Amino acid sequence: MTAAAERALQPAGPLAVDARGVSKVFGAGALAYQALRGVDFQVAEGELVMLVGPSGSGKTTLLSILGCVLSATDGQVSLFGEPLHGVTDGRLAELRRALIGFVFQGHNLIASASALDNVRLMFELRGVSGRRARRGAEELLERVGLADRRWHLPGELSGGQRQRVAIARALAGTPPLVLADEPTAALDAHAGHQVTQLLVELSRERGVTVVIVTHDNRIFDLADRIVRIEDGQIVPSPTLSPSPTQGHAP
Amino acid sequence: MKSVRERLAAARGGRIPRWRASVILALRMMLHDKAKFVGTTLGVVFAVVLGAQQIGVLMGLLAKNTMLVDNAGADLWIVPPNTEQAQAGQRMSTQLLDQARATPGVAVASPLVMVGTAVKQPGGGTEAITLIGFDLDTGLGGPWNVVAGDPADLRHAGALFFEDAQRDRFGGLNLGSVREVGGLQVWVAGFTWGLQPFGPAYTFGEIDLVRDLTGVASDQLSFVLVTLEPGADPAAVAAELRRRTPGAEVISQAAFHDRIVGSLLREQLGITFGTTTAFALLIGFIIVALSMFSAVIDNLREFGTLKAIGMTNLDLTRMLIVQSVAYALLGSLVGLGLVAFMADGIRSANLAVIVPAPLIVATPAVMTLLCVLASVLALRRVRKLEPGMVFR
Ligand SMILES: Nc1ncnc2c1ncn2[C@@H]1O[C@H](COP(=O)(O)OP(=O)(O)OP(=O)(O)O)[C@@H](O)[C@H]1O
Ligand SMILES: [Mg+2]
Repeated sequence: MTAAAERALQPAGPLAVDARGVSKVFGAGALAYQALRGVDFQVAEGELVMLVGPSGSGKTTLLSILGCVLSATDGQVSLFGEPLHGVTDGRLAELRRALIGFVFQGHNLIASASALDNVRLMFELRGVSGRRARRGAEELLERVGLADRRWHLPGELSGGQRQRVAIARALAGTPPLVLADEPTAALDAHAGHQVTQLLVELSRERGVTVVIVTHDNRIFDLADRIVRIEDGQIVPSPTLSPSPTQGHAP
Repeated sequence: MKSVRERLAAARGGRIPRWRASVILALRMMLHDKAKFVGTTLGVVFAVVLGAQQIGVLMGLLAKNTMLVDNAGADLWIVPPNTEQAQAGQRMSTQLLDQARATPGVAVASPLVMVGTAVKQPGGGTEAITLIGFDLDTGLGGPWNVVAGDPADLRHAGALFFEDAQRDRFGGLNLGSVREVGGLQVWVAGFTWGLQPFGPAYTFGEIDLVRDLTGVASDQLSFVLVTLEPGADPAAVAAELRRRTPGAEVISQAAFHDRIVGSLLREQLGITFGTTTAFALLIGFIIVALSMFSAVIDNLREFGTLKAIGMTNLDLTRMLIVQSVAYALLGSLVGLGLVAFMADGIRSANLAVIVPAPLIVATPAVMTLLCVLASVLALRRVRKLEPGMVFR
């Protein structure tokens, strides 16, 4: 195994994400489909990992399990040492609220709430209220370059602007983990690149652990590590590793 | 950076911001789709207007039949057995008056004669009236809502009080107009307003005049109206009266009122109005249920997102309940406003739409219950929603 491949499989330091032997079977009987086959996936705290692989390989499935919105059929997952198996739906919601910032493929903002209120909502869900939530939301919107658009509804923003609001929402209250599934899929190359850069930059500033699913090879150089998944399994892929000169250590 | 444990504690403990956020978000989402918002509110308004208006009309109709009992001024009524309405009917002996007057605790016992008869019109033909003869000295059972004339004038020979709303029907009645009842001449000494029961309008006269006009014997009466001495125990006096007047029934004013209402409700009136009101509520229920369900279906992705970013089923349930309550209160407010406006427009001597205070309180309560129940369909859909859908 090459050194790069070695690095691609093994994180260093305390673990933000620890998934071992994770399998996922959709459906049952003749229609059963195994989307994940014994995935071992670890991410160190503060690390930025990009998850790549062909369509249908199980990237979204794995991210959903890590995001506590889908349960694994088999295997063990914990986030920051908190186990995800055998806990109630309420507890899973609590883990999502407390620990995870999501950036979805579509922006998934609340259409009836302004940019500011979308971000503020996330603060409030994390237990931050009143003026602190309001100020936090304003600061984040400023950081993503939308201070002057804070009263606009999502419908009044461009795709790239919406995705920037989504990034601000994901980072509201600085969750320790951000999960992003093809956040640039709906954007043109230039806007997509900018959005990802912004997500990476803000996450790095805050020491947030990030897992991004992406097809966009132009942003690979922003990753600490690239993990390739094929047919529900993690495979070594030295060719996709970022060059050591461009990699950022956590 | 905060530790994971601190974060979990904050997320678990942050109930107040989460409450606030979900309540505001619920109202926002409700107001966002304006067409649906207006449609749902109108559904509630419709149910309130139709339901409250029906109840108001029912109250008005009931009041037409209880107004004599309500306004006669008696504490107790002595009536023929099995009397269900204050109507002209079976007669009783005037001995009852003496028996009542001799009963301890009775202040006044006053006779009332009630007879259905007719007024001969100047141009020929007759019009029916309900003639009420009362004792001018006690005044019990005499005219109320007097809009012209002085009841004291009823002491004059042949003087009667007519219903103002019937003036045209009776050939243009005016104060002093002369008509013929039972072959005798009578004249108009005054007018009342709105005293029209289900039967012919009330017409008042001194009891002996009424007896002469209708041929009711001087030892007969329809009802005995009793008032109590101050401090007398109504139940005890009623019991003693019952003992002394075995052939008649003794009933308190309130019980008589309730009995009239009960008998009307048991008959058609209750079924007719009950059906319309239930229908109104059903329509409201269906409109609210469907529009809340379709609002959830329209916003499925948003609800899924809210779940994914950490809202619980409880938070989402709260949101739908907030919306239900908001629709119910808003719809009740607008609906009751419209009903009050309509009641004013409808009010006439024939029918008053009565919107009683309990109805004003009950409407928002009933509509809240209805709307919350109607949101169950939407709620089930939201609770079933998989947060994982947001990644699809
Ligand atoms: N709810 C589901 N029911 C049945 N099969 C599913 C379900 N979700 C995913 N799958 C299947 O699991 C496999 C992995 O899907 P997944 O969405 O994880 O792929 P992906 O790597 O994210 O693909 P893409 O790059 O196209 O987004 C696919 O074959 C898909 O059809
Ligand atoms: Mg996918």
